[in-house]
Amino acid sequence: MSESKVFYKYKAHEIRGELVADSGKTKGNLRRKTCLRKIIANLIMGNYHEMSQLFVDVVQVWNVETDLEIKRMCHQYVCTLAPTKPDQLKLVLPLILQDLRLNSEELCIIALRTLTSINDPSYSQEGFQHIKKIIMSTSKTSVPLRKAAIHSIIKIDQIDHDKALELYYFLLDMLDYGKEEPTILIAAVTVLEQFHVRNPEMQQLQVSQNICLNLLELVGKINEWDTANLFDIMTTAYTPKTHSEAHHLIDISIPKLHDLNSAVVLNTLKFIVYLTNYVDYIEEKLVRKFSGSLTALLNKPLEIQFLVLRNVILLLLSRDSPLIHLEPSNFFAEYTDPTYIKDTKLEILYLLANEENISQILDELRGQATDIDDIQMSKKSIRAIGNLAVKYPHSSRYSVDVLLELLEFGVDYIVQEVISMLKNILRKYPNQFNFVVPLLPQYIDSIQDVESKCAMIWIITNHSKELKDPLDVLRQYSNNFMSESLEVQLLLVNSAVKFFCREQSKETEQLCLKLLSNATENNDNPDLRDNAYMYWRLLSLVGNPSEPLFNNDVARDILNGELPVIEISTRLDPSVREELELNIGSILSVYLKPVSQVFRGVRPKQLPESSILNHEKSSLSIIAGSASSNSTGNLSNLDGTRRSASPVKKMVDFDKPAETVNQLKDRRKSSISLSATKLVRKPSMLARKLSMRKPFQ
Amino acid sequence: MASYVAFCDSKGKPLLSRRYKDDVSQPAVELFQHLLLEKEQESSITPPCFHHNGIHYMYVQYSDIYVLALTRSVSVNITTMFAFLHKLINVVEEYVKRVEEESIRDNYIIIYEILDEMMDKGIPQVTETKMLKQYITQKSFKLTRSAKKQKNVARPPTELTNSVSWRPEGIKYKKNEAFLDVIESINMLMTQQGQVLRSEILGTVRVRSRLSGMPDLKLGLNDKGIFTTNDSKDDSPEPVISEKKKNSNIELEDLKFHQCVRLSKFENEKIITFIPPDGEFDLMTYRLSTPIKPLIWCDVKVQVHAGSRIEIHCRAKAQIKKKSVANNVEILIPVPEDADTPSFKYSRGNMKWVPEKNAILWKFSSFQGGKEYSMAAHFGLPSVSDAEPPKLKRPVQIKFQIPYFTTSGIQVRYLKIEEPQLQYNSYPWVRYITQSGDDYTIRL
Repeated sequence: MSESKVFYKYKAHEIRGELVADSGKTKGNLRRKTCLRKIIANLIMGNYHEMSQLFVDVVQVWNVETDLEIKRMCHQYVCTLAPTKPDQLKLVLPLILQDLRLNSEELCIIALRTLTSINDPSYSQEGFQHIKKIIMSTSKTSVPLRKAAIHSIIKIDQIDHDKALELYYFLLDMLDYGKEEPTILIAAVTVLEQFHVRNPEMQQLQVSQNICLNLLELVGKINEWDTANLFDIMTTAYTPKTHSEAHHLIDISIPKLHDLNSAVVLNTLKFIVYLTNYVDYIEEKLVRKFSGSLTALLNKPLEIQFLVLRNVILLLLSRDSPLIHLEPSNFFAEYTDPTYIKDTKLEILYLLANEENISQILDELRGQATDIDDIQMSKKSIRAIGNLAVKYPHSSRYSVDVLLELLEFGVDYIVQEVISMLKNILRKYPNQFNFVVPLLPQYIDSIQDVESKCAMIWIITNHSKELKDPLDVLRQYSNNFMSESLEVQLLLVNSAVKFFCREQSKETEQLCLKLLSNATENNDNPDLRDNAYMYWRLLSLVGNPSEPLFNNDVARDILNGELPVIEISTRLDPSVREELELNIGSILSVYLKPVSQVFRGVRPKQLPESSILNHEKSSLSIIAGSASSNSTGNLSNLDGTRRSASPVKKMVDFDKPAETVNQLKDRRKSSISLSATKLVRKPSMLARKLSMRKPFQ
Repeated sequence: MASYVAFCDSKGKPLLSRRYKDDVSQPAVELFQHLLLEKEQESSITPPCFHHNGIHYMYVQYSDIYVLALTRSVSVNITTMFAFLHKLINVVEEYVKRVEEESIRDNYIIIYEILDEMMDKGIPQVTETKMLKQYITQKSFKLTRSAKKQKNVARPPTELTNSVSWRPEGIKYKKNEAFLDVIESINMLMTQQGQVLRSEILGTVRVRSRLSGMPDLKLGLNDKGIFTTNDSKDDSPEPVISEKKKNSNIELEDLKFHQCVRLSKFENEKIITFIPPDGEFDLMTYRLSTPIKPLIWCDVKVQVHAGSRIEIHCRAKAQIKKKSVANNVEILIPVPEDADTPSFKYSRGNMKWVPEKNAILWKFSSFQGGKEYSMAAHFGLPSVSDAEPPKLKRPVQIKFQIPYFTTSGIQVRYLKIEEPQLQYNSYPWVRYITQSGDDYTIRL
């Protein structure tokens, strides 16, 4: 029997001949086995049509053979082809039932699985009967079979919810009694949880204290997957009633943080994090345990590493005083890391930065920024450097030095990102870094993308004093005015008007007139046109003798309206954090978004209400040990940075560092172009803003 | 809760798939290869999971295949999924030796059986190979010995009902032995100037048990966390003495244990006790991030004369005890892609140019502690003057193995083996080795 022949597309008649041929007992057995192998191989290759013609023949073989392997392949065959042969399923049913009655545990399990995997009323009817029988008979039946039966209940629930409910209550009693084999109990609670997930009208699964303690006692007796599963389910399934109870549950869960299986570790972590919502204080030991076990997981295979990293981000974002303290050097990129790991590590470095370690992190980011192999990563690291400069005033000088060093590299995309970042820095620290400005115009040819062009124009307009001939740069851009993108055009008009108001000379007037007439006459975009007309009217008001109060100074004040301070906040909305915390290790932790944003119609997980639930996380203190002082010390500073501005939006593009730049208040839109484009994109917002706008005074 | 588990080839085309729940259909599995291609074109960042049409694709890469799990449920625990997929690969590996496209095709029936046993309705079940062998009837070429057991198939195995789900009863060996390997991998990230950016020791205690019956093992280490619990009370009044003690007892961070170790006992009494699974397994892993001196240090200097040549000077030094010897030392130094006409000068070892890796490889079969060797390499560069000077971003990679030595200083004090019923004599063996980890690199 050569395997190469097995993986070959056969016609039905070729196999049929061999399958039904009768030649001695042992020889026939072997031959049939080979035939069935060929059939299964053909099914793998998708040769359904030919193979489905053999249905009757396979059933015949099934009838005479007792060999387990052959039976298994027959079951496999029927499961795969059942949907295509609804009329012949009746033929098979007695065979399956016959297998179920045989005294072989394995065959029983296979038969039960087949029975419940075929969508046919008579099958599910029989399935239900057998499942019931197997589950109820406690003594005789073997454990694996009963376990398989319990798992099959989920399938029954898909077909007939009411029937399944009967078994639901039986399982609940079983858990309450708690005298069954450990693995059976876990299967039962898993199925119960599935019941609640599947049926939206049922609330989240809630179990009694008795059941919870019963189940947690099993830890150590059950295998690793069951353990992981149990902790996963118990998160939200049991609500502690008192603080001391919550502490007790944490204490008995902690040892499992030392498991070798990463699924167990992350699920235990999730359970404990969940419990910390119900305690009055957190022990410092816990923070150490968390940090240690997470760092150790970073040496697992790449995919698991990735998950751990995502969850580290989640934990860093979720609390005001983080539950973990990690060493930044663990997140330095390795040359061999795939991009998705590097990317996530970069984000963690950004989040881990504080005044003490920032120079270490900046050095690492600088290294990554010059990585010519991966432009995306390089850009992202420059962004992170820029954002760190805005976030940490004390080290901003060093960040700027790093950026300038990168600027000297002269590679186009690096220059562009650096200039975009410098704009934010200059805005945040108005007079601190003026020496930077004269260095910039020489790079004007490298700047191609919209964002950095805007940044350049903004810098030139607002720091024109530092430059010898600021208008020269502006003139270069205005020559291509018509081919620029809308954002650049809007900003150009704005800055030309600003220059004119600041200093009325022939040059400025010429430039201003040229741009305004271009924008109003040769242009189709209504926003640009309206914008230009608005400035035009403003300028004509200044010259109008009937408006004596409206002089040049007033116009300048209007144009140079005060910009809001740039703040970068990485805090998430409390309800979002809460939901994400309950999803440690799940799919949502990869997307780092609340479920409603990614997938519709799925019920988000919620913290069960309890009298001891801590609504205000920041009031929770981490106590004991000397090292705790820095974690609690942070609390007071952080209060100031928390923003109410829709934090959910921040995480929409999760591949960028979380940040918010405050939007302008509605009356002063004129001085920044970005807000104007926002309006274009969102008509509903536009309507709302317009209705709120006060009439001109 | 996985709905599908599939093995796919290097392009993502399914080789074989097992369905566990009927909420995901076969075409969704077929779609994987196209989605994969699409995602790769979209951006350079392809995370190991994505969703399409409400179906979540989670996959791990291994040799030339993808192992894929599909689900529709958002609440699925993706950590469990990834851990399971990796475990699955390990188990299949034990049956078919090497997991790759060809071996999967050759052994599809047995893989189906494994998939059947390891998961039920998408929930992971028994995954210990020795336990699985009770159920898997199929013969693969490694599985010759279980032929005898096949006769007992009809008898329901009672093993699952034991409190020990990872070890079957009735194991017998003529000679009872337990082998203990303490393996430490060193990961280090250094700058060219010799500054250590990151260093860690990843330790594994690997056990190969060939013991009869249900033995109970007790492992004693010289770890501080394990040993000084008793005298920790005396520590406080005499700080001077306790400091001396610390030198001999090291502290291991981030211990992780195999599921057979009684964790609550470890947590309370700091004793490692366990009933081992049969065969080889990782008993525990640990991590130490204490700063360490580079064991093998290379002082690399690269001079690029754009348009003409590149010169590389390297001094390698083994900064270990004079008695110790590092084996199989390999130093991989990157050179520009367009370099040609190499010429080398070196005092010891073996050197060659590896054009497919764009690097030079300097090899020593053994490298004694305290010794220092140097080399000089010279390459020609094309005279076409490119605007950008060739910048070497790739790091220097170093590989080595040092036997009979652990960097952390961890030592096995004792391994007690007790089998309450059989009461046999047993022989524990211990070996130590330190080696380079995956990332022992010097940034240029």
